[in-house]
Order: sequence, then C-alpha cells, then structure tokens
Amino acid sequence: MDAVVFEAVTKTFPEPRRFFPRQRRISQNATLALLNITLSIPSAKVLVLLGPNGSGKTTLLKLASTMFLPDTGRVLVRGADTVRNADRVRRTMGIAVANERSFFPRLTARENLEFFATLEDVPRPARSARIMRVLDNTGLTDSADVQVMKFSSGMYQRLGIARALLKQPSVLLLDEPTRSLDPNATPQFWRLVRDFADGGCTVLMATHNFDEAFAVADLVAVLHSGQLADLWDVTRVHGVEDLRARYFRTTGEYDLVSELRARCTS
Amino acid sequence: MKVGLLEKMLAILRRDLLTTIRYRAALVIGGSAMMVEIAAFYYLARAVGPGFRPEGSDYFPFLVVGTGFYTFVVAGMAAFVAAVRDAQQTGTLEVLMTTSTRPSVLVLLSAVSAFSISTVQLLLYIGGGLMLFPVRAPHPNVAACAVIFILSLAVAVSVGILAGAMQIATQRGGAILTLVGSTTWFLTGALFPVSVLPGPLRAISYMIPITHCLQGMRMALLQGASLATVQGEIAPLTIFVVVLLPVSLVVFVRALRQARWRGTLSYY
Repeated sequence: MDAVVFEAVTKTFPEPRRFFPRQRRISQNATLALLNITLSIPSAKVLVLLGPNGSGKTTLLKLASTMFLPDTGRVLVRGADTVRNADRVRRTMGIAVANERSFFPRLTARENLEFFATLEDVPRPARSARIMRVLDNTGLTDSADVQVMKFSSGMYQRLGIARALLKQPSVLLLDEPTRSLDPNATPQFWRLVRDFADGGCTVLMATHNFDEAFAVADLVAVLHSGQLADLWDVTRVHGVEDLRARYFRTTGEYDLVSELRARCTS
Repeated sequence: MKVGLLEKMLAILRRDLLTTIRYRAALVIGGSAMMVEIAAFYYLARAVGPGFRPEGSDYFPFLVVGTGFYTFVVAGMAAFVAAVRDAQQTGTLEVLMTTSTRPSVLVLLSAVSAFSISTVQLLLYIGGGLMLFPVRAPHPNVAACAVIFILSLAVAVSVGILAGAMQIATQRGGAILTLVGSTTWFLTGALFPVSVLPGPLRAISYMIPITHCLQGMRMALLQGASLATVQGEIAPLTIFVVVLLPVSLVVFVRALRQARWRGTLSYY
C-alpha cells in the first residue's frame, strides 16, 4: 500500500476578499502553487522533492500535513484523507517545518519537547525516555536544558526534527532539514533518515541539495512551476552528477555551478 | 493511547506560566502598576467621601472589585489573542495545528490557560487591595462568587475565542478587543453603578454580559448575596454562555479551515 498519495491535486492561494467566503472560489488573481499533481510514495521509502524556489515543494509537504487544504483532488496519508480524516492523518504524520523559530523561546528544549509530546499523545510513562532519545538522535542532549532563544539556526533545525520524531510517525515530512546543519551533522542526519525508512517509516523530504537527495532517496520527484516535471528511481541514477544533469535538463534551468566548475578545470 | 484533557490543560498552563515568570521585568512592572492603580482608587474613594455608597457598598471595594474583574475579563481576552498572534509570528500555530490534539480542543484549553493567569492577577488585585487598604471586611458568599466567576470566565473565553478567530482571519484580532474594551469600559459599571446611566444606555448596558459579571461579583463578594439573590445576573450570563461558547468555537474552527485553505495560517 502507498503511504502517501496525491491524486490530481491543485492548490492555489487566493487573494483575500472576504473574511469567511461561503465557498472556495479561485479568483483570477490567485497564485498557482500546484497544478494537477499525481504522485504516490510507497511505504518505507524516501521520496525527495527537488525543484527551484517557488516550485511547490513546501506546499506539497504542507498539504500532506493538513496545514493546507487542496482546492481540487485529494491527499491520502496511510489511507486517510487530509480533509475528511485530518485527525487520523495528524496522528500518523510528523513534520519538521523550514521555519526554524517555531518554538516557545523562553522554554528550554526539553520543556518545548515535553509540551509537544503531551499534545502528541505520547503517554506520560514513555515521555521522558522518548524525549531523551530524540534529543540524542539529533545531537541536542547537551543543550536539553538551554532556553531555545539562545539556540543557533542549526540547533533550532535539529530541535524541529526532534519534535517531528516525538510521536514516532509512520510518515515523516521534512522541509529542507539540513539547510542550517554543520557539515559533520549532515551525513549523520542522512543515516538517521535511511534508518527510519529501513524501520518502516515513509519519508517525504524537500531539499535543494543534490548530495542529500542522492544519499537518502529511493525516489526523486522534480517539481517545476507547480507541476510534477519528472520522477526517478534512484537505482537508475548514476551518481550525484547524473542527478544534477537530469535535474537541469528537466527544469531547463541554467546550471551555474557546473559551468563554473568546467571553466575552472579548463 | 491518548493523553487526557486535564494533562494537556496542565501542559499548556505550565508553558504559559513558565513564559510569564521568565519575562521577569514585565512581571515586576505589571505588579507595580497594579499596586499604583489600587492606591489611586483608594485615594479617589477617600476624596469622594464616605457618603457615596454605590449599590450599598463602600466606594473603594466597589472600585477594586469592578476594575479588577473588568481587567480580568478584558486582559484574559487580550492574553489569548496575544497567544494566537505570537503563535502566528513564531510559526508555532502551524505546528500546533498538526499535532494529534484537535484544533478546537487546543484552542479552548489555550484560552482557559490564558484566563488562569488572569485569575491569579485578579486574586492578587482584589485580595491585595482589600488587605493593603483598610476597608470594612466584606462577607463573601463563596458559592455565589464561584458560580458568577465560572460563568464570567466562560463568557470571556467565548469572546476571546471570537477575537482569536478574527486574529486568524484578518491578522488583527486586537481590533475586536479595542471595541469591547472602549465601549464596555463605561457601559458596564466598572467605575460607577450603571443605575446612574440614562435609560437607553442602561438598556444597552444590560445587554453586555460584563455588566452582569461585575454586578453579580460585587453582590456576592461585597454584600454576601446568596445564589438566589444573584439569580438575576446568573440567568443572563448562562444564556450568553450557552449561545456564545459553541458559536465562538464554530467560528474559530471555520476561520482555521479558511486559513488552511488560503495558506494564511502563519500570516501576521
């Protein structure tokens, strides 16, 4: 069974017109974020979303998390519709958002996690051990009792990942999870993602990093202008450079990095 | 296995309490301002003289109970809207709305928590005022006080949730509080009895739930009025609660749904 399914999903962000419109109307001034996306992610696989800024990667993740509702089509997470069965979806899914500061700044990392663990229905007897484990997984054990307002960007990002892992989700949504991580932490995190997938968790991850995509993905989907431009099985991709070349061929974007490398070499 | 509502309530309360305590400067300034206000009311009551006995009470306790309770209701609403606004600004609102706890439950518990901290302030305000300045000791009817308090809390939570819905829909929920605060300040009898208002204004005054909150609390706290005596305040408050609370929750959930559709959950 596919763990996450997008069926002909279209998402626009309408212009504000009324406080409480009676029905969803897509105005001509609406911003198109996703158009007719159909995509399935099998259980225990890692699907990486690649695409330029504004291509719809975050919107796709937020649709799967119930933060956003689709205009048309539907999103199923473990068979539950994100509109009709949002409660069920929320119980199975964990999300680490790109917004690093989504915590209570005067609380420590542990206090933040205790708060979210309670709301995530983590039973009290298991809570402390669970918090210790996710802090350990994300390398934050030594900073557990520091108020998060003193955290660096990377530490915020680690804490966001720790929070997403609290309820031991069967579907994990990660939005650029290593953007602010230091070079040592990044490969560790990749291993962690692979371990989750090997343990049965399905991961949907947005990134701009080709190394990351190649290291963790089973499948790579390329979004461009809100549309699914291509979908590859990573076993058929021959290394990071092949992935990069495919990406730029698909999106039609200019590969500045490769160009500069070629010039330096010559 | 689910975590119980009480445990979630305590988790939210703990978060709010820790946050409040850790903003130490604000806590000290707020406490000082409260004491200055009580002192000002004491000397105002002395200047007015002992002959002025609104609703049969001394003017100073009348003022302390009126303004204290009024501030409790309005400040509690403001605290809840501030919590929603802060959550929008920091991005916690989006994350909170994807937890296993239903958004409507989360909102209700957050509102109750916001008012719990206001309750502590209220107790300090009224208790401190009546203890620090020599007044004839009131003879409260505890049961009547408790019933009026719970109903007032429910009314204030409802209006707070409506303001929270407006904050999510328009990012300016404070506007509804400004409206509530400015119009009810003089219409609800925080500083003087509503009986001195002209007839049409008095009629409007009785349509505002806070008027009944203040009158009921003064009667129960300062005159020891029984439950039967304050029934005239309990009945309208009960009607307000029965209508307002479900309506406010429905409006909030609808505003939340609209925000999820529009993608404006984290706008501010």
